[in-house]
Amino acid sequence: MLPFFVSDFPRSVKYLPPFVRPLVALLPLALLSACDLQKDIDVELPALPAQLVTECYLEDGQIPRLTVTETTPYLASPIPVLPLDVTVVLTLPSGRRDTLRFQPGIDSVQMKGYTHIGRRPLVARPGDTFGLEVYDTKGRRVTGTATMPSRIPIDSLEYKFNDRPAEDRKAYLLASFQDPAASTDFYRLQIHKDSISSERERDFTLDDRLNNGKLFTVGTSYQFDAGDTLLVTLYHIDQPYYLFRQSVSDARNANGNPFAQPSGIRSTVQGGVGVFTVLSYDRKQIILR
Amino acid sequence: MRFLPLLIGFLFSWGVVGVPAAQAQERHTLSGYIRGGAARELLPGASVAVPSLVAGATADSAGFFRLVLPEGRHQVVVSFIGYETLTREINLTRSQRLSFLLPESANTLGEVVVEASGTLEQKLQTTQMSVERLTTKEAKLLPALFGEVDLLKTLQLKPGVQNGGEGTSGLFVRGGSSDQNLVLVDDAVVYNPNHLFGLFSVFNPDAVQSVDLYKGGFPAQYGGRLSSVIDVKLREGNNQKFVTSGGIGLISSRLTVEGPIVKEKGSFILSGRRTYFDVFTRQLNNLNEGDPDYNPIPDYYFYDFNAKGNYKLGEKDQIFLSGYYGRDIFGFNSQGGFNFNFSWGNTVGAARWSHVFNKRLFLNTTASYTRYQYGITNALDQFSFNLSSDIQDLALRTDLDYTPNDRHTLKFGAQVIQHSFGVGRLQAGSGDGRLNLGSDVGYSGQEAGLYASDNFKATDKLQLDYGVRLTGFRSGSDVYGGLEPRGSARYSLTPKTSLKASYALMYQYVHLVTNSGATLPTDIWYPSRLSVKPQRSQQVATGVSFLLGDGKYLLTNEVYYKWSRNQVDFKDGAQLFVNPDLDSEFLFGKGWAYGNELYLEKKTGRTTGWVGYTLSWSKRQFLPQRGTSGINEGRTFYPNYDRRHNITVVVLHQLRERLNLTGSFVYTTGNATTLPAGRFSVQDVFGGDVSVAPIYPDRNSFRLAPYNRLDLGLVWKLKPNRWFPESDLTFSVYNAYNRRNPYFVYFDQLENEDTGQVLGYRARQVSLFPTIPAVTYNFKF
Repeated sequence: MLPFFVSDFPRSVKYLPPFVRPLVALLPLALLSACDLQKDIDVELPALPAQLVTECYLEDGQIPRLTVTETTPYLASPIPVLPLDVTVVLTLPSGRRDTLRFQPGIDSVQMKGYTHIGRRPLVARPGDTFGLEVYDTKGRRVTGTATMPSRIPIDSLEYKFNDRPAEDRKAYLLASFQDPAASTDFYRLQIHKDSISSERERDFTLDDRLNNGKLFTVGTSYQFDAGDTLLVTLYHIDQPYYLFRQSVSDARNANGNPFAQPSGIRSTVQGGVGVFTVLSYDRKQIILR
Repeated sequence: MRFLPLLIGFLFSWGVVGVPAAQAQERHTLSGYIRGGAARELLPGASVAVPSLVAGATADSAGFFRLVLPEGRHQVVVSFIGYETLTREINLTRSQRLSFLLPESANTLGEVVVEASGTLEQKLQTTQMSVERLTTKEAKLLPALFGEVDLLKTLQLKPGVQNGGEGTSGLFVRGGSSDQNLVLVDDAVVYNPNHLFGLFSVFNPDAVQSVDLYKGGFPAQYGGRLSSVIDVKLREGNNQKFVTSGGIGLISSRLTVEGPIVKEKGSFILSGRRTYFDVFTRQLNNLNEGDPDYNPIPDYYFYDFNAKGNYKLGEKDQIFLSGYYGRDIFGFNSQGGFNFNFSWGNTVGAARWSHVFNKRLFLNTTASYTRYQYGITNALDQFSFNLSSDIQDLALRTDLDYTPNDRHTLKFGAQVIQHSFGVGRLQAGSGDGRLNLGSDVGYSGQEAGLYASDNFKATDKLQLDYGVRLTGFRSGSDVYGGLEPRGSARYSLTPKTSLKASYALMYQYVHLVTNSGATLPTDIWYPSRLSVKPQRSQQVATGVSFLLGDGKYLLTNEVYYKWSRNQVDFKDGAQLFVNPDLDSEFLFGKGWAYGNELYLEKKTGRTTGWVGYTLSWSKRQFLPQRGTSGINEGRTFYPNYDRRHNITVVVLHQLRERLNLTGSFVYTTGNATTLPAGRFSVQDVFGGDVSVAPIYPDRNSFRLAPYNRLDLGLVWKLKPNRWFPESDLTFSVYNAYNRRNPYFVYFDQLENEDTGQVLGYRARQVSLFPTIPAVTYNFKF
């Protein structure tokens, strides 16, 4: 089934060209499906200098973890390059500077790797500003700041089953929340099934351009079964993080879409590539019966 | 409007100056209409020449010509592609009206056996340079993709014109983008001249008489776009008898009905076509109904209708009504209850009144309406989502031609346009009313133009065409305007060699909102307002033409240089749809284009055709601005339609009386494109779904492989039978040697099929069309 976003219209509209891409392919590709119209080619790409890539999502009550890698030529080996001589300094709202340890590992809850880790859980409140400084012995230096947004609560979660026979019976889910009128706001809403460690079922990135100050309702297609336990997380994100996510998505979509204009990555950090942000979210659980 | 009398007065003063000279030489005006064939259709662009005097004229858009000649006997040669050349001796003792009727060539390929060379000679003599004329009859002979004759694609075979990609009908003229083409059908603007993402143009060849493409040296009566004018004239229909014609092709069929309204006084033509691809896909879907693994193929089809009528109110007045309506329809209804419908298309109407005041003054007044719109509707259960956009014009223009004497031909007129820009309408809601989201972003604009020009035969060797266009645009409280000088000159070094030069300044007040680099159905037009200033370009061109081989060949070489400012592009990640603050997403820059076009054409004998070679550059620059680093941090870049070399060869050869072989070959430098040079991995808040983010270097820094293609065609005119007195079979082979031309390149990851582990990355080239044979049956009764 095709995705259907009820409140994610601005986002879905933005990607209309990819959405209507089947149309382009319709005529020639349906006729010529038997023909081999693709082949591997050799390309000579310009050599870009390797940049430091940082990825760090701070969270209240969690030990800060950060990943530092390097950009690589696109056609290079898929094994990520981990620079070993990188120093990471986190500046807390109080002004204290904590140097994170280089200790590569795997976060078993969030199922992801990291290279640097702090010593104690973080205390973060809405409005708190953190600083990041990453540098290595080659003279590369990445800096960034991030302020924790306010928490926006999920007002309600609702679901409805369709009228199909029991074996085909599916439900959609609606999540509602109130957007503050005084500010320009950005959100990310994720739906996980059973556990947040599992692969997410849906992931929406939203802005309040068209419904500032109004009730947001985000919906899914008929995709959930009776008995499913859903975890819905609403992140209130800052604009730099929103733009970073948008630019990564645009850059990925441009690869293979002849109608897209490739765009640059809009990092939240300076001097390198990547994201440094503070998470602020509300999470609710619902069981579909 | 108060400028009009001043301008007219100014130009008339030229006429007054010229009159004494004319009277001294006892010269008279020969004027009239040129019609062709049994249908007696008017033939805009037909030429009237007196070879002994190296004098000639071309019929205007109404098929009307004026030629000032010295008193005496003259041999007048009247010619037009697809019609027998007419030679008539006249004794001119006073100004007189004389209309000519050209017999249609004996077969549909008549244009290849025309014995006279009036067209080439006329082309040599005219001051107008950088113009290409194409008739439907010519285009119908050439091989076409899926056998679908397409005039815009045929124009891509002319020097200085690039296509937007494999199979597309978009035109990129002398380094300009596709939205910088002014596309007119019977003087009404067409905003999106494409079906199916540009694979086909909206012009049904059965309804079109001819197309003129101006690449530079723009006459003063045209304005509003920077790069080209594509002036399409529809046929008027047979005014002698009722005729039905049509064609059955691989993917579409056409039917045309035409006939007299009142014999000799008026005629009409109705023409329609529709694709039937959806008929097959629906059957396929029905056969697979109930198969859970089958993904239904969406419905897609397009259709268009053309209608035109004309009626002669008297000896001096004639009215013309033209209309076009076309739609592309895409629909998808999933078994899960998700419905998606997408339709887009143009609606165009024009009414023209043509009046001959006297043999020296001629008037055309046209009122027109045009609308391009698209609409998308989504529905699932109680939820719905509708998005639409449109642009709508109401226009009125009047054009006058005045020939005060044999040295001056004046053209002047005025135009007003009321634009309505529906930049985006969004409505989303649920049946229970809990969800109700809407937005409507729209603007209006008024555009006006006033022009005057004079074609001045300064001496037997030197002819000048100079004029000026005064334009203005208003949207809300924002007002813009500009003076657009135009000029061209021809100097005859010898009777068979001409030197030409031209200059034109153009303003464009409406802008296409797209960052795709291609013309898409979701394109939005936006007025000049707030920070979005009118685009402006200037072009100079010089050329030399030689008539060779007893007038059988015309060799032309033109050099052009064009510079533009206020070119528009968009910020990375710009929100282009339903954005009330769209103005802030624009970036503004400069553009340059220059090149050399070499063109050899032959229009007589059993073998005709042309060879063209274009060497060109097109560049753009967007400096850091509006909180961005611009494009490429302000460094210049090539737009994706920049092509260094472009070679075209077109040959039409009459094998036998009823059998003709045609072929076209194209070689061009590959598209400039952007490929990711680097990458990095993003784990996101939760890992387990690591994604690869590409890092792009400078825009369009990579070249696709060169493009080359040979198409072959065979037109076999069948013997008349009881049902169809005229019919033919047209065979075509697109991409005859099966070249895998690049459409685009993407990067893919190689994975272990069992574990999903990424093993490496590779570049893949996608091609669109292999060898495609097609056959079309055309009939007429």
